[in-house]
Amino acid sequence: MLHVENLTASIGGTPILKGLDLSVGSGEVHAIMGPNGSGKSTFAHALAGREGYEIGGTAVLDGHDLLAMEPEARAAAGLFLGFQYPVEIPGVNNMYFLRTALNSVRKARGEDEVSARDFLAIANEAMALVEMKQDFLHRAVNAGFSGGEKKRNEILQMAVMQPRLAVLDETDSGLDIDALRVIASGVNSLRGPDRSMIVITHYQRLLDYIEPDFVHVLVNGKIVKSGDRTLALHLEVNGYADFVDGKNEVDGHSLSGATT
Amino acid sequence: MTAGSVATSTAHPASVAVLDQIAGYERPTKRDEAWRYAPHSQLAQLSFGPPHTPAPPLPGDVEQQIPAIEGPTIVIVNGVFDSVHSKLGDLPTGLVISSLAAAATIEPERLDRHFPPMAHDAFMAANLAFGTDGAVIRVGEGVCLQTPVHIVDILVPGEDHNGSCTGVVIDLGPSSSATVIETRIGGSSADQEVAGGSNVRTTITLAASASLEHIVLQDLPRSLVHLGAVEVTQAEGSEFLGRSFNIGASFGRMAYQVELVGDGARTELSGLFFGRGEQVLDQQITVVHGAKDCVSTQSFRGVLDDQSVGVFNGGIDVRPGADGTDATQSNANLLLSNRAEINTQPRLEILADDVACKHGATVGQLDETALYYMRSRGIPAEEARRLLINAFADQTLEGVGIETIRDWVIQRLGHTDD
Repeated sequence: MLHVENLTASIGGTPILKGLDLSVGSGEVHAIMGPNGSGKSTFAHALAGREGYEIGGTAVLDGHDLLAMEPEARAAAGLFLGFQYPVEIPGVNNMYFLRTALNSVRKARGEDEVSARDFLAIANEAMALVEMKQDFLHRAVNAGFSGGEKKRNEILQMAVMQPRLAVLDETDSGLDIDALRVIASGVNSLRGPDRSMIVITHYQRLLDYIEPDFVHVLVNGKIVKSGDRTLALHLEVNGYADFVDGKNEVDGHSLSGATT
Repeated sequence: MTAGSVATSTAHPASVAVLDQIAGYERPTKRDEAWRYAPHSQLAQLSFGPPHTPAPPLPGDVEQQIPAIEGPTIVIVNGVFDSVHSKLGDLPTGLVISSLAAAATIEPERLDRHFPPMAHDAFMAANLAFGTDGAVIRVGEGVCLQTPVHIVDILVPGEDHNGSCTGVVIDLGPSSSATVIETRIGGSSADQEVAGGSNVRTTITLAASASLEHIVLQDLPRSLVHLGAVEVTQAEGSEFLGRSFNIGASFGRMAYQVELVGDGARTELSGLFFGRGEQVLDQQITVVHGAKDCVSTQSFRGVLDDQSVGVFNGGIDVRPGADGTDATQSNANLLLSNRAEINTQPRLEILADDVACKHGATVGQLDETALYYMRSRGIPAEEARRLLINAFADQTLEGVGIETIRDWVIQRLGHTDD
């Protein structure tokens, strides 16, 4: 489904991703963990198409050359990025925003637009998933939302967009344990054989709730270790120290454990 | 009611007097603060003269530009009341509408406020001298109009002079209320673009506890100029809601002079100016607090694309003795291009104690992060831009109850084809 090869990204000549390789198969959930500044968020935004990076390498999703596409075309190709810091858009109604997003993607795929009525049914179902109240839809996008509400709104959007690949960037940051449970259960219910996920996180806590099939350690712009869930538990105990300073570089950026 | 007639026979005495001295008024220059950013070479092409009757036929596309607003409609073409296109049947009790020319013949003394003996500048002088026709709206004591009155001013530049002058008089009796919409548009009967300009002056008098919502939709073609002046005098406890949507014309100027002369009067001015190409959109506002406990707000938003220029020159004058004044002013601007320009300037003169005055101006660009966020959700860049611009402009539509106007403005903002 997703093949990333030798992905590089720099900002103003400063390299952040230094040759990242990753393959994600259909239905798989991959966790990417790493210390602050290792390039986790840059990876997410490089996939989604944020401007301002000099990008190299390849990233192919279902045969689409993501790196050659505008952000909106990547969304139409089935990519969804759950933002670490969801953006407030005062004056734009959440419902209108969601419906415009869904219909834009449908239009780009040559599908019929969804009527207001049908959309409401889709939105209601998505809201139930993340335990949101109706008034949520009528507020401006993220404007004045609490941290937890913003993250729930991300998962709500994901539920509406039904992406092929969801990249969730630090979805757990700033959440209390109850909000984390709600969001994790929302994410889990969206798992399926046709949908893959990349869960980016700093802490292993989230992985107690969203169990990954594979765990990758990202340090200094490269994946330095890959494994199964037990790798996350190892990190929980020992921290990232084993992987910083190049101690474990013997494994290089191998993809041991990751299948396609 | 006749469709106007030769200007001099019906004109108000002050109009005739100004006409005699018109050559003595020099046109404003860049040295005049209130005209500093105006395209003077373009203004120099304008020529004004007495209105011609009958008015020329309307070019076909002009009528389609008129927002379909339910209620009495007064159409004025080149400064002449147009009885054919106006719709004035079945006016409610307490509402009197006439042409300005007719009112000047029948009861000139009631137009003294509209026709002062002197003008501030040459364009006002032209309006006094040649703006002998137009519309008069009077609302009787205690009358609350349920439907808005719509005044449509249309400029079709003529051959011997390309400018037109219109006078609008709105008088509200004590404790009455009304909504008046002034749509200002234009067109050309020729195939090629011709220069020209409309010069519309509106004088509004609100008696005690009267309440008026007054909306100006300025959307002349970009080959033409619009000079709009609104002068308001408010008695005690009266309320004025002035909204301007200054969108069309190569140079679109909206000037408001509001005199709060009665205690406890309130005035709320808001507006949106949206420039593209090389448009210059100019708002010149002065609110004079001349009585106690009056409240005024000025809230204007500008969106400027391409090489357009916006001007917000907002004045608050608090006269001696106007204690308890509460005056606020804000001007927020969105620049969509690095060649666009906004000139925003507050003018505050406070000569009373116990006064609360606030003012603020902001200039920003479209939020790139918000654009990226929307695009990452599949919304195409152009649509995302439009959503953000509308969200910014939308605040000026808050409280506009007439759906047709909201739709008209939003639809107008979406136009990219002109």
